[in-house]
Amino acid sequence: MKPRKAIALLAWAALLGLCVLRIVRTTFIADLSAFLPADPDPQQRVLIEQLQAGLPARTMLLAIEGGDAAARAAASRALAQRLRESQLFEQVNNGDSAAWGSIGSFLFEHRYLLSPAVNAERYTAAGLRDGIGETLSLLGTPAGNAIKPILEADPTGETLRIGEALIPVAAPRSVEGVWASRASGQAERALLLTITRAAGADLDAQQAALVRIEQEFATLQAPGLTLKMSGAPLFGVQSRALIEREIQWLSVVGTGLMCAFLWLAFGSLRALAVAALPVVTGVLAGITAVSLAFGSVHAMTLAFGTTLIGEAVDYAIYYLIQARAAGAAGWLRHGWPTVRLGLLTSVCGFAALVFSGFPGLQQLGVFSVAGLVAAAMFTRFVMPELMPHGAAGRGLRQALGSAMRAAIGWLPRLKLPLLALGVAAAVLLVARGDLWRAELSALSPLPKEMLALDASLRADLSAGDAKTLVVASGADLQATLQRAEAASRALDGLADQGQGQGRIAGHDSITRWLPSEAVQRERQAALPAAEPLRAALAQATAGGPLRAERLAPFVDAVQRARGQAPVTLDALRAAGLGPVVDALLLQRPDGSWVALLPLSPPLNGSVPPAAELRGALAGTDGLQVIEIGSELTRLYERYLGQAQLQSLLGAVAVLVLIALTLRNGRRVLAVCQPLLLAVLLTMGLLAAFGVQLGILHLVGLLLVVAVGSNYALFFDMLLHEGDDQGEGDGPDSDTLASLALANLTTVASFGLIALSALPALAAIGTVVGLGSLLALVLAAAFAPTRRRREPLSAAPAA
Amino acid sequence: MRRADFIVTMATCVLLPAARAQGFDLTQVTALLARNRSGQARFTEERIVGGLDLPLHAAGTLSFIAPDRFTRTTTEPRAESMEVQGNQLLLKRGGRTRQMAVDAIPELMALIEAVRGTLTGNAALLRSVFNTRVEGNAARWTLTLVPRDAKLAQQVRELKITGLHSDMRSVELWLAGGDRSVMSIEPLQPLASQQAAPR
Repeated sequence: MKPRKAIALLAWAALLGLCVLRIVRTTFIADLSAFLPADPDPQQRVLIEQLQAGLPARTMLLAIEGGDAAARAAASRALAQRLRESQLFEQVNNGDSAAWGSIGSFLFEHRYLLSPAVNAERYTAAGLRDGIGETLSLLGTPAGNAIKPILEADPTGETLRIGEALIPVAAPRSVEGVWASRASGQAERALLLTITRAAGADLDAQQAALVRIEQEFATLQAPGLTLKMSGAPLFGVQSRALIEREIQWLSVVGTGLMCAFLWLAFGSLRALAVAALPVVTGVLAGITAVSLAFGSVHAMTLAFGTTLIGEAVDYAIYYLIQARAAGAAGWLRHGWPTVRLGLLTSVCGFAALVFSGFPGLQQLGVFSVAGLVAAAMFTRFVMPELMPHGAAGRGLRQALGSAMRAAIGWLPRLKLPLLALGVAAAVLLVARGDLWRAELSALSPLPKEMLALDASLRADLSAGDAKTLVVASGADLQATLQRAEAASRALDGLADQGQGQGRIAGHDSITRWLPSEAVQRERQAALPAAEPLRAALAQATAGGPLRAERLAPFVDAVQRARGQAPVTLDALRAAGLGPVVDALLLQRPDGSWVALLPLSPPLNGSVPPAAELRGALAGTDGLQVIEIGSELTRLYERYLGQAQLQSLLGAVAVLVLIALTLRNGRRVLAVCQPLLLAVLLTMGLLAAFGVQLGILHLVGLLLVVAVGSNYALFFDMLLHEGDDQGEGDGPDSDTLASLALANLTTVASFGLIALSALPALAAIGTVVGLGSLLALVLAAAFAPTRRRREPLSAAPAA
Repeated sequence: MRRADFIVTMATCVLLPAARAQGFDLTQVTALLARNRSGQARFTEERIVGGLDLPLHAAGTLSFIAPDRFTRTTTEPRAESMEVQGNQLLLKRGGRTRQMAVDAIPELMALIEAVRGTLTGNAALLRSVFNTRVEGNAARWTLTLVPRDAKLAQQVRELKITGLHSDMRSVELWLAGGDRSVMSIEPLQPLASQQAAPR
């Protein structure tokens, strides 16, 4: 005995030590990435990259409310100034056009490389006359004021041409020179948009930026004004804080509950301490397994870990109670096989999660499988060495057992009403039809008001509301830009179509700022030498209002442009255009590039369907049309479909396991009956309360099958073990009490996470808490009775 | 009415501008203008721009549909159009179409409000953006608009709109730099105002 005990304890301690070592070096993340799919298709990949690493992940929307327009504008300017000085932000934009001065001069300097109008024809006499005519048509109007100062250097209006293409279709309203809200019937706001230098995933840096914004606003000492914030960085920081808060209270309350149950079971502190060991072992092993499999652990997984407490503590309860009567060896013979079967069914349930499409659920699966196996292994191999005779102390087991016995005696009378309820639930479910909801946002832990504020700020700022994108991708930058240029030409065609509005109002493209080198070279090659240009100019301006002699600066500028270095990505960044670049151009980790071309819908209309856009874009490789809303829905639908299949497979695996163990059709049927009813009643209850079911509810139902099968099996075994041994006196109070305790811990631990503010956890918790309670009640009600259930009521206390 | 108008006109001529305060003000001008629910007109425009040897000429059509749609289509010397619909501006030049939000550019907004306020006869709107001055009488009036906003005043010095009864007949625009344009308007649907009048 001695060496075995030492080996078991040493091995356990060593493994635990390794787990702790790994966990110490593990990164814990708490963003929303857990609920973005793991293996998206190429179109979804762009979307997810945008969400995770793109500009939106670094963009904050700020609103100043209260006071009057002048006070808000002054506060907006002062806040923007201070935030720019903080160096935390790549860009702070409040609509103050002064900030655009340097960008304007960059465009002016590079007008012959950037203007889409530049071609050889443009510099013939006819082309020049046309270009100059177009510029002159604006002079003498308010718009002409802006071009008059550069008329002599840019008579063909290339700067104007570039600017015209860059005018956004939808832009924030401007009041007192700064951005302001448009929506009537709401508090009036001044609006700002900030882009942090730090990556969106760096939540610590994002939090620092948020705090800085609040501090700077506080020091403005603007009485009557309040600051509101929104945006992905805030969501990330808030979600993390929320998840951390949830983990804290869930683990504290979960531990408290576990202690309470153990006290209930044993009334002994020593037993309580020993029973906690498989739980601790399971949790540590679970975290380690996730860390090894995924490289990092999502905080949501930890929050879910509290339910593992409920499962793992059952093993300790079973052992400590049952080994007291039978000894460790006896338990290994009679108790362990039941625990093993329970473990296997639970593992079947959780293993299905590993194959789900969401990393968050995959982590839960790995965590639970590893945790349960470790807890069971501890119970099987270490527990008998530590506590060979189980635990002393009876606690309230006697009372619990008696109550169970009474309930078991009485519950079968409810068989018919329960069956009727099951049928009613099935009818309700069929009648409702729209039971499953395909909506990713249902998983967001953020409060509705927060999302509503975000939506209203986004509407005011016209920020990030493109519903349809064309995406050009390529192995290198130049190939990507050339594809984007082809797409941009096709999209311009759609915008210019028809008498009134086009099929789209316009689009954005990085190629307006950064044409491919080939196009820039082409434009340069089209620029004439000084002499032919002067000759053509003389011809073009003859008899017109603008004399050629005045246009010497134009001739010089064209000559300079012929030898100008092309505009590059670095040059754009140096000119302060980093945010523009990042909004429209991304480099993937593998070095390839993606250009995004968001489309604006025509006034009072919508962007043409993807099929029409694809038709317009046909002929160029590497282009995709993405409709964000339907893409997200499609994505979730796909995962819902996958999850339904996986859950079904998981449930089938549980049933196969049961069938293999029982090897008797009638018994299998008897076990399945209450399970099916439990699932039906759970779904029916949720439907009756108007809850729409998503992937997480589905996962919960699978766990109900996995956990609930244990109860049904228990009753089956009671009956048939009695047969084998010819005892026939029914279960003793301790066994009944341990069953009640196991169910209580499950219901309590899942019930606890049902109270969580995290919708993902609450969904699983509600379903499993409710479902496992129903499963026990139903298993008791439908327990196969032997000769009129006399054994159950007549059993003496052990 | 004709007779009354005649008398007023004569009286104005005789009594000189001193008499203009006799009840004819912005409210009455806008009341006249508000009778137009829609209309179409031809225009010719002459622009005098400093630094250019010759004045610039343009011609085209104007159309208006209450409450907030109007279009200026230039046919000479180049085909261009500008259409305002609510808060959206649709520009067509050289075969290209651009759309933008009017209220994103306050100066543009003010000018569009001037046109819209005049076309729809919205006195409050005009007063909110401009200092207004009215001269003349119902038969022949002049409405002068001077921007209140300093930023707009850096661009536009004043707008002078003249009209006969409910019809706008010319718009003179003085830019801050000294350039100016004069647009003469010839209504194409003289019956429109009379049809709408009974409302």
